[in-house]
Amino acid sequence: MFYVSMFFQYVSQYMKTRLQYRADFFMEILSDLLNQVVNLVFILVVFGHTQFLSGWSREEIIFIYGFFLIPFALFSSFFNIWDFNDRYIVKGEMDRILTRPIHSLFQVILERIELESLFGVVTGLIIIFYSGASLNLELAWYDPILFVIFAVGGALAYAAIFVAIASIGFWSDAKTSIMPMMYNIGNYGRYPVDIYNKVIRFVLTWVLPFAFVGVYPASYFLRKEEWYAYAFATPVIGLVFFTVSVFIWNQGVKRYRGAGN
Amino acid sequence: MSDAIQVKQLRKEFKSVSSRSGLKGAFRDLLTRNYKIVPAVNDINFTVKKGEMVAYIGENGAGKSTTIKMLTGILEPTAGEITVNGMNPHKEREKFTQTIGVVFGQRSQLWWDIAVQESFRLLKKVYKVSDEQYNDHMEHVIKTLDIGPLLDKPVRKLSLGQRMRCELAAALIHNPPLLFLDEPTIGLDVLVKMKIREFLKEINKKYNTTILLTTHDLGDIEALCERVIMLDEGQIIYDGELQSLKDNWAEEKQVHFQFIEPVELHELQSLPLPFTANWVYDEKHQTYMAMMKEESDHISQLVSAVVSHFKIKDVKIHETSIEEIVRNIYEEGTV
Repeated sequence: MFYVSMFFQYVSQYMKTRLQYRADFFMEILSDLLNQVVNLVFILVVFGHTQFLSGWSREEIIFIYGFFLIPFALFSSFFNIWDFNDRYIVKGEMDRILTRPIHSLFQVILERIELESLFGVVTGLIIIFYSGASLNLELAWYDPILFVIFAVGGALAYAAIFVAIASIGFWSDAKTSIMPMMYNIGNYGRYPVDIYNKVIRFVLTWVLPFAFVGVYPASYFLRKEEWYAYAFATPVIGLVFFTVSVFIWNQGVKRYRGAGN
Repeated sequence: MSDAIQVKQLRKEFKSVSSRSGLKGAFRDLLTRNYKIVPAVNDINFTVKKGEMVAYIGENGAGKSTTIKMLTGILEPTAGEITVNGMNPHKEREKFTQTIGVVFGQRSQLWWDIAVQESFRLLKKVYKVSDEQYNDHMEHVIKTLDIGPLLDKPVRKLSLGQRMRCELAAALIHNPPLLFLDEPTIGLDVLVKMKIREFLKEINKKYNTTILLTTHDLGDIEALCERVIMLDEGQIIYDGELQSLKDNWAEEKQVHFQFIEPVELHELQSLPLPFTANWVYDEKHQTYMAMMKEESDHISQLVSAVVSHFKIKDVKIHETSIEEIVRNIYEEGTV
């Protein structure tokens, strides 16, 4: 309960900070919206040339892409921790975090929220409705609920990978290029996994579960019954991986060396 | 429980890579690393009673910050026991931090872009402070630190002195019984320093707040602390009263004079004084320096004797700094 109220406290703090710079605020919203429009056009143009991809139709691929954008937007708004190592470990900001009575990861996440990224949800929904309409998908009454659960599960799986990677900073303060590489690998989750070879598919499912961000949960809504088991595993995978990553984080905090003044 | 801090055989080691020299060495480093284990804090023991104000001093790299970070739960000790406010800081970190206030002079607690009061408001929620407690306590803090007019300004627009006063207030929002201050007056002007010292004295008196501070400013210690713990290379080399430390190690007082008309060194040396003062001419600054024992009214006697014989342009009384005391101790061995 305390954590829920703290969440809203930090969100309101964040809003106040944003509103401090009025021009900046509007520019940012504008550029975010523009970014999403470009994204949308790009997808339609690129996929305009493909018809079938190992058993997936064009609309289905677009649907998966659209679905992916939603957990990804959740992830980028609330787990904006790609610069954790520089900002909190090298500069020693972690010292301050650790002197406050809230879980350290929760504080870092709250300080770094970036709500503008939530626009990605809108883009994702537009794409889903567009492709869903052309596929004539039917919705059961519980589908919206499952949709939310799957999206959150996917976002957690995504977040878990990045939290685990951020934790590496506790062990080694050298700069690593793993973060950008992960963002690249993350993109593979936007496409049907059966187009990849077995090893990559295994990795995307069980090691870096990016497939649970896009293709697996989306295949439920596409009524691909052969993938249902994976689709329903999404929230479980999300929770399990996230729990493990928080555990790694907690171990890391014990190793934190601090920065000199 | 009358002890705020108990430290037993506390030790913190850092592992550091020692690199071999040359290109060949660099290649060898790639394969096998030479690790050197460096103890930053080396088996120290001390206790601080509730309501005490203690200065924790030493040269840079002596292990002050490392100790403070272990006491505040930021770092986990390699070995030894710490009990602060009856808790193990690192193990029960989240509960523990409710009971301490921390000010790191070079790091801000406040949100840079928004008004100070917004930071206070959020911290109030973070520490679960009720409205009555907040109003009752903070009204006084804000008044004493004289930061009322600053509350609606964004932190980035404050001067260092204004910001430090706000930092101090922010660390006290939950009225902690124990306060850690790491270089609280670094870079501040005299007036702000004095205000902060006055304030710390007052909360110590009013709430019996225990204060542990690190500083390079002897003035801070003189104004606040009766007890000094001095650290060198991770070990405590002195733990006791400030006065006896100064009596033993800062006996030399230096007074610098600048004269309007040229003065000969022997003229100064032949001034009638009831004690001995060593005169030295500093060519670089064109000043004459008198060195003597610091005792009762010697300074005033010296100054009045000089002034009655010569016209002076400037007088400076040089206070022995912590660094010099430490250096003295270091050069001459143990205390």
